[in-house]
Amino acid sequence: MIRRPATHGEFGIRDRRSQLTIALVAFLLGVLVVVQLRNQTGGSALQNKSSQDLTNLVGSLNTENDRLRSEIAGLQNQLDELRADHTIGASSVEQIQAELARIRAWSGLDPVAGKGVTITVTGRIDSTAVDDLLNELRNAGAEAIAIEDIRIVARTAVSGSPGSIDVDGFLLRDPFHIRAIGKPETLVGSLTRAGGIIAQLAATNADVTIDVTPTDDRMLLPASRQDLVPDHGHPRV
Amino acid sequence: MSAIVGRLRGIPSWQITLGVALLALGFLIAAQLAAEGPRVRYTSQERTPLVETALSLQATQSDLKDQIVKLRGAISDIEAESAGSQAALKSLNDRLEQARIAAGLIPLTGTGLVLKLQDSSRPVPPGGNEADYLVNAADLRTVVDQLWLAGAEAIAINDERVTTSTAIIDIGGAVLVNTAYLAGPYDVSAIGPTDLFARVSAQAGFQEFVVNRVGSFGIDLSRAEPPIVDIPAFAGSVTLQQSRAVPSPTAGPTAPPGSTDPATGSPP
Repeated sequence: MIRRPATHGEFGIRDRRSQLTIALVAFLLGVLVVVQLRNQTGGSALQNKSSQDLTNLVGSLNTENDRLRSEIAGLQNQLDELRADHTIGASSVEQIQAELARIRAWSGLDPVAGKGVTITVTGRIDSTAVDDLLNELRNAGAEAIAIEDIRIVARTAVSGSPGSIDVDGFLLRDPFHIRAIGKPETLVGSLTRAGGIIAQLAATNADVTIDVTPTDDRMLLPASRQDLVPDHGHPRV
Repeated sequence: MSAIVGRLRGIPSWQITLGVALLALGFLIAAQLAAEGPRVRYTSQERTPLVETALSLQATQSDLKDQIVKLRGAISDIEAESAGSQAALKSLNDRLEQARIAAGLIPLTGTGLVLKLQDSSRPVPPGGNEADYLVNAADLRTVVDQLWLAGAEAIAINDERVTTSTAIIDIGGAVLVNTAYLAGPYDVSAIGPTDLFARVSAQAGFQEFVVNRVGSFGIDLSRAEPPIVDIPAFAGSVTLQQSRAVPSPTAGPTAPPGSTDPATGSPP
């Protein structure tokens, strides 16, 4: 019983030492395991390469990147050119559309609107007199002419006898109207001047009345119904 | 033997645990030192920048590749779009060509005839009007009209194309066609069917002209039917100052004949 406390105290000191030693060893063991594991798994593949390998890798990356930059420059140029062409193409399309609209309107393929004059013809007029009126309108600068709703084009012919005048297959009524787009004052002045076409026609067609009235710019002339593209002729090269 | 076993049994368990732990510690230290060798060599001063440079170059390469992919995509898109534009442009140019042909802005060649009109060679009788014996603008207009009626598709007078805007008027002893002063003889060239002359000469209006002008005053009218008739293009201005183009999807009229114009409210 006397030794027990002594033995108990000896063992108590020894237990604490051994526990401290084990704790220290376990701590070192833990640290080393962590360090070892990090060395094994951490870092990129580059960490395991030698300086020589790295130098080679850097050289090859530089070369490849230069090649890629050159490829990018080429592609960028190609894209810029395509975009420029695209823009030019778009503006070309606009120009062509404007030109097409102008030519179609001028030739009678499309309707046109504008101010001008309306000529009302009453009485038994002959086809030559109608043709003379059209000729005078053209001479006075009319840009588009229609008799009733028949657009006058290059091929339009006025035929028939008084009372049965035919314009492109359309029989005129009495009275009928000729409408022309142009400067109203110029057209009116040209038609109605002393010794002008209306005065001449009045002298030879006593029972015919021709009135000229300026119109505002809402006057709409239709397109021609004729197919104006030739069948017997083709463009000369 | 039993003594050894007895001694082993006498060893406290913590000493065994400590022994095993120290063995593991020794192994790990040895492994750590073994792994330390090359790392010491690679972490020399020139190596770290090399690794950084390589990593940076790899990142740059990745960016460059992304850029290439994007550029190729953009090029592909614009090429696909341009292909559509090219087709639209060709269609538009074709329409423009047709419109120019219809307008008389392109020279034509084809079958047809040439009618030649010359002043009369007859002496003017006393009391007669000398002008009646000369070819005038009305003669030319009549011939042109009769040719249109007979099916002519393109006409020129002495190489002046007759268009929708062409006026033919007398100016002194000459005739003004478009903006050109023409003097006789007048060649009226027309493209049309091969039997154009037969058609025109069958028309009452043409026959009347022949009687009145050729028969009565001796205006000289002759014809030629060459295998090929050439008609020049209209060289004048195609200007619309007072007119606004009203595009229509078709070339047809916007209203039936005889209808009231909704734009003006005026009777046709």
